[in-house]
Amino acid sequence: MQTPVFDAARSAVAGEKHNSRKVRWWKSRGFDFLQFIVLVGFVVWVTWRSAASLDYRWQWYRLPKYFYRIIDGELIWGPLINGLFVTLEIAAWGMVLTLIIGLITAILRLSDSFAGQALARIYLETIRNTPLLVQVSIFYFVLQPILGINNPLWTGILSLAFFEGSFASEIIRAGVNSVPRGQWEASSTVGLNKAKAYIYVILPQAVPLMLPPLTGILVNLVKHSAILSFVAVFELTTEARNLIGDTFMSFEIWFTIGAMYLVVTITLSTLVGVLERRIRRGR
Amino acid sequence: MIAPRSAKHPIRTLDVIVLASVAAVIGYIGYRVNFVLVYKWDWSVIPTYLFRWDEKTATLVPNLLIKGLIATIRIAIWAMVVSSILGVILGIARTSDRLFPRLVSWAYVEFIRNIPPVPFLFLFYFFISSRIMPILGIDEFIYSASPQTLVVMEFLFGPANLMTNFISGMISLSMMSAAYIAEIVRSGIQVIPRGQREAGQTVGLSPFAIMRYIILPQAVQRVVPPLAGQFITLIKDSSLVALISVQELSFLAMEIAISEQRFFEVWIFTGFMYFTVCYSCAKAFGWLEKRMGAHRH
Repeated sequence: MQTPVFDAARSAVAGEKHNSRKVRWWKSRGFDFLQFIVLVGFVVWVTWRSAASLDYRWQWYRLPKYFYRIIDGELIWGPLINGLFVTLEIAAWGMVLTLIIGLITAILRLSDSFAGQALARIYLETIRNTPLLVQVSIFYFVLQPILGINNPLWTGILSLAFFEGSFASEIIRAGVNSVPRGQWEASSTVGLNKAKAYIYVILPQAVPLMLPPLTGILVNLVKHSAILSFVAVFELTTEARNLIGDTFMSFEIWFTIGAMYLVVTITLSTLVGVLERRIRRGR
Repeated sequence: MIAPRSAKHPIRTLDVIVLASVAAVIGYIGYRVNFVLVYKWDWSVIPTYLFRWDEKTATLVPNLLIKGLIATIRIAIWAMVVSSILGVILGIARTSDRLFPRLVSWAYVEFIRNIPPVPFLFLFYFFISSRIMPILGIDEFIYSASPQTLVVMEFLFGPANLMTNFISGMISLSMMSAAYIAEIVRSGIQVIPRGQREAGQTVGLSPFAIMRYIILPQAVQRVVPPLAGQFITLIKDSSLVALISVQELSFLAMEIAISEQRFFEVWIFTGFMYFTVCYSCAKAFGWLEKRMGAHRH
């Protein structure tokens, strides 16, 4: 970031040696990195030791059969993998519904219809000012019987979609608003109506800006789907809690679940980062 | 439909569509509730759980729902204090010149951001309750504590028998919130022009003095509004600790709903309680921010 000249001047001011190249070893980046590795190792070791203290018996060998079993040469997924599939299913369908809800809300907010704006604001304020857990409960205990949905999984997906939809609508709205006003004026000058201006002029410019934060919503969907274990949805966390009830291997299973979630979310987050960098470079 | 804002058509097609669909949804829900489920609303359970008449002292005392709300706010305040301290340290570390603090802070923030709150809460609860609490000897402390100490403890942390749950819930909430506060602090520091720091170096201030007298006073003004928002987030997220049986609003709502078999009324009212608290906080913070902004100029 800084020029060598400035660096030298700075170290001169700070009373260090003039030669900025000759960094002392304990101030080098390599040593910093080493320190970091040692610290991470230490934290892992302390966690491990204190979890294993008293007379906790690690039973990792019992874990694989909860991932998969091979019976008569046939592969059968265990509860943990099934739970992961349900979590991913929730995230995938949740994303589709989130986009629909977000798009409708954004259109209503950007419209000049009074009723549309009012509806969008009521929706956004309600979602923003109540906890997700309460929203999920209201969907499960109140709306599910009222609307006659007979699958808790879909109630869960719907409640998550309504929650994330509020974020999606803000992202979409910000994306559309970031397109300069002149573009609107230009499209109406060449005789495009509002819908056509959206499709041919505004959205092609706005969508690339929206993509990285919208992918971030996918990460959130995976994370927040764990809340559905509060109601009867058999996703990863629920499966984990049931397994712990059966086997009492709390630490093994919670550590495993945490790692599984981390693998999924970090993969998605990395994807967001790559997308962001690409789009920034493209502009 | 090009939309020049004209007073000619105050009511647009979209208005009609929106109003019609809202009416349709409300109508459908009303139909289902009254004719399919034949549900008999009974809101009278709510007031008795807000306040109850105490015969001994002959006064109105808060009942479960209000107690739950107090517990929610208590845990949110604790988590806010703890996470602010942790978050400020992490945020400053994130902007350090050295690689080591940056890496530590980065790893923490990424870890917390990518792990779902619920499994984290459970793992932490098991960890704390079965390993850390025996080491700290909190339970023995509570057993041997004098009544006066217990009163103070209950005021600060809630019921003594659920101290472990409260503390692990509070710490895990704080740890999650600290990652977000760290990001707030980092961006607050980073928007301050580099020239400020360089000017400090030129006049020979130490890195600590630069942070203390130049960077932080300016960063604080930018950091306060999002921190207020974080407090509202904490009030909402504190509902998660219901999963580890801390008796805050959501947990008690669940219990009341089950014991009274009044799921509709209790959950809708609980949502309304959260909404009232969060919305009024948001409005109050917005008003304060505007006032502070007016003073600055």
